[in-house]
Amino acid sequence: MAVAASAAVAAGVTEVAEKDLRIGAALAAATCSLLGTAAPGVSIAADAEAKWDIDSAFLYYGESDGRVKDLSLSAHATRDFGDERKLGLDLSIDSLTGASPSGAIATGGAQTFTSPSGRDTYTTPAGEIPLDTSFLDTRFALNGSWSQPFARLYTMNAGLGFSSEYDYQHIGADFGVTRDFNLRNTTLSAALAYAQDTIKPVGGLPLPLAQMTDAVGEDQGPGNRGSGDDSKNVLDVLLGISQVLGRNTVMRVNLSYSDSSGYLTDPYKFLSVVDPVTGDLIGRTPAPGASGPTGVYRFESRPDSRRKEALYAELRHDFSGKVLQLGYRYSTDDWEVDSHTLESRLRLPFGSSSYLEPHVRYYQQTAASFYRYSLADGTLPEFASADARLSDMSAFTVGLKYGHETAGGNEWNARLEFYRQTAEAPNEVLIGNQIGNTQMPDFDAVILQFGYHFKL
Amino acid sequence: MTRKIFLLAVASLALQGCASMGVQPWEREVLARDDMQLDANALDTAFDDHIYFSKEGTSGGRGFGGGGCGCN
Amino acid sequence: MGGPCEVLAEIAEESVARKVVEAVAACAWRIEDKFSRYLPNNIVARINASAGMPVEVDNETANLLDFAALMHRLSDGLFDITSGVLRRAWIFDGGHRVPAREEIDALLPLVGWSKLSWKRPVITLLPGMQIDFGGIGKEYAVDQAIQLVAQLSGAAVLVNFGGDLAVTRAREGDRPWRVGIEGIDPATGAEPNAARLIDLAAGALATSGDTYRFVESQGVRLPHILDPRDGHPIRDAPRSVTVAAPTCTNAGMLTTLAMLRGRGAEEFLAREGIRHWVQRQ
Repeated sequence: MAVAASAAVAAGVTEVAEKDLRIGAALAAATCSLLGTAAPGVSIAADAEAKWDIDSAFLYYGESDGRVKDLSLSAHATRDFGDERKLGLDLSIDSLTGASPSGAIATGGAQTFTSPSGRDTYTTPAGEIPLDTSFLDTRFALNGSWSQPFARLYTMNAGLGFSSEYDYQHIGADFGVTRDFNLRNTTLSAALAYAQDTIKPVGGLPLPLAQMTDAVGEDQGPGNRGSGDDSKNVLDVLLGISQVLGRNTVMRVNLSYSDSSGYLTDPYKFLSVVDPVTGDLIGRTPAPGASGPTGVYRFESRPDSRRKEALYAELRHDFSGKVLQLGYRYSTDDWEVDSHTLESRLRLPFGSSSYLEPHVRYYQQTAASFYRYSLADGTLPEFASADARLSDMSAFTVGLKYGHETAGGNEWNARLEFYRQTAEAPNEVLIGNQIGNTQMPDFDAVILQFGYHFKL
Repeated sequence: MTRKIFLLAVASLALQGCASMGVQPWEREVLARDDMQLDANALDTAFDDHIYFSKEGTSGGRGFGGGGCGCN
Repeated sequence: MGGPCEVLAEIAEESVARKVVEAVAACAWRIEDKFSRYLPNNIVARINASAGMPVEVDNETANLLDFAALMHRLSDGLFDITSGVLRRAWIFDGGHRVPAREEIDALLPLVGWSKLSWKRPVITLLPGMQIDFGGIGKEYAVDQAIQLVAQLSGAAVLVNFGGDLAVTRAREGDRPWRVGIEGIDPATGAEPNAARLIDLAAGALATSGDTYRFVESQGVRLPHILDPRDGHPIRDAPRSVTVAAPTCTNAGMLTTLAMLRGRGAEEFLAREGIRHWVQRQ
């Protein structure tokens, strides 16, 4: 037995002093006789190999009534370099098609509008909510982040992001610090992000509240265009605390502040101008020989600054292998858009390697102070927008995710969700015949996602 | 007023946190699971945040990451 | 065992898992009850109270004594299960109490394996001498537990007694068990994090270190492993040594022998040709 043991221990050893080889072999032999085993057994141990951890998914988003459809491909990769140093990379490609509500209201007759480029016109049938012309846009986004400890209990993280689409570019950076307390049961974090976006819309930027003009057959937008492009800056500050509440429960609370300034208006959206008493659209005739809008429409204008504060709280709780996640966010800003979001997921494992995860979300917001259903003809306000995304609104999501872990430790998953958004114009912004007679661009959407999470 | 409520909520939670709440290092077997991480479902929430950012009036709060886009 | 014990088992049927865990717990208690130096009525207590009289021991105890004797010889006297009496002078509780030279000198005559008589199955100590199996007992218990588990179930099971652990085999799909070694915090050693991740597919891991039991003197942390020749903690010992070997007893002994080499720990382990991780500062 001593010979067999020494052979097993000597494997892989290059230079061994005679005396020390005897310790290893003699020790192995002694252990065998102590434990009463015949063979010395095997030891297979190695430093855990750092690998790329990649989460990838393909997503389809489709709204009802021929509106927006989006196809998206995303990958999120992380790699651990040991000693808690981590690299993260995110890549995503989106392809967006379809039309969205332009902000004009539905009327009893057909309506004609000039397209954003100023080159031609499009018509909306009577009684339908006007949608802007169909578009196709592809967006590409890349993000990188790095985190590492820099002192006892302190970790820093930094990130850079970039995205680009036909009329919009974004570049941003963020930096944060976290500190652990209390045997890592409590973690405080503080982070700062700054982004600079540039918008260069088709046909240039319309002057605020400028009236939509006839089509001119060449690239010259119908809003008495000012400059061709503009920019916006966003500064975000985040303070967070995460806390272990027990063996099965962890929570976090974030306080965030966001300050946007620059061009915050949507250059493609406008409002219908209506009679201040009846609330009916004011008609218009295009110039002789030209085609153009059949009503008076004015491009929207939003303030050039927006300050937001939000409180976000999340809890994760395990009970016998099932995980409940509960999240709540309250947000308020100086546009008077206040919102509540309540969201929950429940992961239910079944079988030896699968899970189902139902998901619900409820969202509710109040209208921006400058939200209008339409504009009354006459004195113009400083700011106005008929974008339903700034109205009183609520939305509900319900979904189910299925996941399956393969023998090699990778995961396939699929997710199906239904989203319904319902908007309302507050009574104060309605005029004349509009009261009790509004048509808001509510919609349903389907989200279908297939994903594969693997290590490389 | 709401600002004061925020600060109070966070401060009280922070105070609670710095007390002896928590677990010993060897009691972390459940907390160490992937599905118990606060950033689990990261890809799902990134997609969702992007969709909701472009379809609703509020965004963010959870953390940073992800770019801007012309969709809001 | 002096620390938390856990069993991780990849077993689908609850009844089998329960049986495995209960067997491991029973094994741990049995060995603790039999060999703990803190209990009043076991074989170790009888030997330590023998006041110079011979004591006949059972087979299992005899095996452990044979093993201790061999380790004493292989380590040139550094490993010595009679060095426990020095605990009367040294208290390793993270405080600053360092005993005086005279206190240690008074105890040294009672230390030394060669001073006792061991002729299987009879052991005779000098009056006042003490033996303890603290340096072998936990790892031995892990190995006994793993043997028991392997008889009960073919599943992949990991038994961990306070950081000394072993596995029956790799996990489903031939995946290794992922084990984290606690990192050493330079200032207090009290804020743990996994500094290293190890993939263990077969065999055992044992760790020796000063994270929890130490005395601090003049800003230097003195580990709880004492040199039986002069009664002092080993100088320049690493902060932590982890070794992978086919059995936990084997791994544990190698970590102890490495720590006892102080400055020469890495060299010793490298020449033994086994997977090891040493942390200093």
